[in-house]
Amino acid sequence: MKKQTKAAKLTLPKKVASKPAKVMIHKLPTGVRGLDDILGGGIPEFSFNIIAGTPGCGKTTLAHQIVFANATAQKPAIYFTVLGEPAIKMLRYQQQFSFFDESRLGKDIRLINLADVLLEQDSNAVLDEIIKQVTAIDPSVVVVDSFRTVVRKAVATSGEMETQSFIHRLAQFLTSWQATTFLVGEYAEAEIRDNPLFTIADGILWLWQVTERNSVVRKMQIMKLRGQASVPGLHTIRISGDGVQAFSRTLGLVEPRTKLNPYRRLSIGIPELDTMLGGGILEGDSLLVAGPSGTGKSALATQFIAEGLRNGEPGIMAIFEERPQGYTHRAGTFGLNLKTPQREGKLETLYLRPLDLSVDETMQEILDAIERIGAKRLVIDSLVGFEMALAPGFRADYRESLYRMIGALTGAGVTILSTVEVEDTFTALPFSHYTISFLTDDIIRMRYVEIDGQLRKVMVVIKMRGGNHSKDIREYVITDKGVVIIHPRDTDYTRLTTGVPERIGQREEVAPEPKAK
Amino acid sequence: MSPATPQMRNLAKRLMAYETGGNKSSGTKTPVAFHCCEKLRPHLATLMGDGGFRALLSRALADAEVPWLRAVHVKADGSLEGLEELHVQLDLDEFFEGRIVLLTQLLGLLVAFIGENLTLRLVREVWPNVPLDNLDFGNGGTNEETN
Repeated sequence: MKKQTKAAKLTLPKKVASKPAKVMIHKLPTGVRGLDDILGGGIPEFSFNIIAGTPGCGKTTLAHQIVFANATAQKPAIYFTVLGEPAIKMLRYQQQFSFFDESRLGKDIRLINLADVLLEQDSNAVLDEIIKQVTAIDPSVVVVDSFRTVVRKAVATSGEMETQSFIHRLAQFLTSWQATTFLVGEYAEAEIRDNPLFTIADGILWLWQVTERNSVVRKMQIMKLRGQASVPGLHTIRISGDGVQAFSRTLGLVEPRTKLNPYRRLSIGIPELDTMLGGGILEGDSLLVAGPSGTGKSALATQFIAEGLRNGEPGIMAIFEERPQGYTHRAGTFGLNLKTPQREGKLETLYLRPLDLSVDETMQEILDAIERIGAKRLVIDSLVGFEMALAPGFRADYRESLYRMIGALTGAGVTILSTVEVEDTFTALPFSHYTISFLTDDIIRMRYVEIDGQLRKVMVVIKMRGGNHSKDIREYVITDKGVVIIHPRDTDYTRLTTGVPERIGQREEVAPEPKAK
Repeated sequence: MSPATPQMRNLAKRLMAYETGGNKSSGTKTPVAFHCCEKLRPHLATLMGDGGFRALLSRALADAEVPWLRAVHVKADGSLEGLEELHVQLDLDEFFEGRIVLLTQLLGLLVAFIGENLTLRLVREVWPNVPLDNLDFGNGGTNEETN
């Protein structure tokens, strides 16, 4: 028998009967919509975390949401205030948020002020007081706000090594007491390298408030999170009456896609145009309708939504330019009743015109509306208006964001019709300001042409996914029935795409709409 | 606008009545004389620190508009000083009224800052046996009790 080498003896046997279970790290909900997904499921239990950022970016509100989401009478939360916002003002402002339930104060949530201890004594006395209170109350969550003031005092009175020791002792004690800790503080990014606090911390949630031109946007980054994979990068956050809400940078990319019938075509509500499209729009497609102002893009979009409603498909109209009343009124002039489906919860109009929107927030709003009414059709009118509604900082990433948004929405099983305004030139036929081939499956281009002393309208299907389509350039009019394609095509022109066509046919045509006498 | 509404005064009177057992002369010795403020002090100091309580009580004192209260000062820990000399010079009604006014102002400030709900929660925490259910802060009406 061959003698085993030393290395072979050390090799683990191939068959292992059973592996001991790994430690299970429970995750605490943050109470912040969207944040748990960014964190990879929530905040790891018993972790020692820092909530850092500049003034006004939402640190205290975030800490309060975490506290309200986790504190119970059996395992309360302690919120230590130090030399930051006076507690009485913090209570005054925080109770404006919907998550703030004052009936839980004193039982589930204990507010304890340590300012006097810090002012009159030193950081060791603060640590002693924290130990005393934590030992007595046995909390599940501990917040120190603002911890930076504690550290400043420690550095000023004891030096850096003593400060590091203080932080270490605090972390060790709170972890041993099975408390998940959040130290809130105003830090600068440059401090990350040298401040021992950041080395000791298990998690660092960094919040920013960025001003660009006249707009302000808030962002968050999970700089560090031990024990689990968080979503890297900067995520938009917004503070509303419900507190902080987070929008993952990857929102829409990770959700499973809704399975659709790959051959089902939806009518656009204009039979002749359905024929041009090869039988309608494939369900789950993104259709772009491009054209200059007044060519009837919104009218077409209204007909698309109304047709869906007729077929029992709830719809959403995300409007960025026109007022919702204008939309409803125009639909009425076409004989389309949008008021009833709105009342019945089959149609939602999202009127989004703030100037500091992010694409992610808009996407979340639309996804919420889709879930609310089970929408199958969506109109985005228009992409230019949408871009205008974004904060300047988000406009730079508009194309990528739009790509992600359209992917997410079509993935949710929704068929999208987006409009985009393009300027007519008489030398070219641009489809959009944006590089759109990756954005849309189908494109319809509308434009003005000068014929016989009239500025008439024509449309053409530029692109259709998964099927043939008409290549004809068709004239259309907008009547009390909406967009109507003129039938039959009885005029032969060339150079229609230039806007100044030449007649090649011999037959005298009749103007689709009467000429002035 | 003064935070000392009739409703707040009513609440202050209830608390005072509870502390004195309806006897105006009881609790006139310092620090018992301002027993209600004293009972509130540790609870509020836990929340806002001694400094925070001191600031709030000083403001209540300044707003009280009771001449003899001008001689009273708030100490660093939030307790009141200067009462020893005063209570012997004042008649009982005057002294009792001053205490009510100060407590009314303090409660009114709390309501102005943190709202009625939180203030009442705090009061319930300190005086769990004082009935507060029929207090009406919402309609702006006067529900002051008569003696």
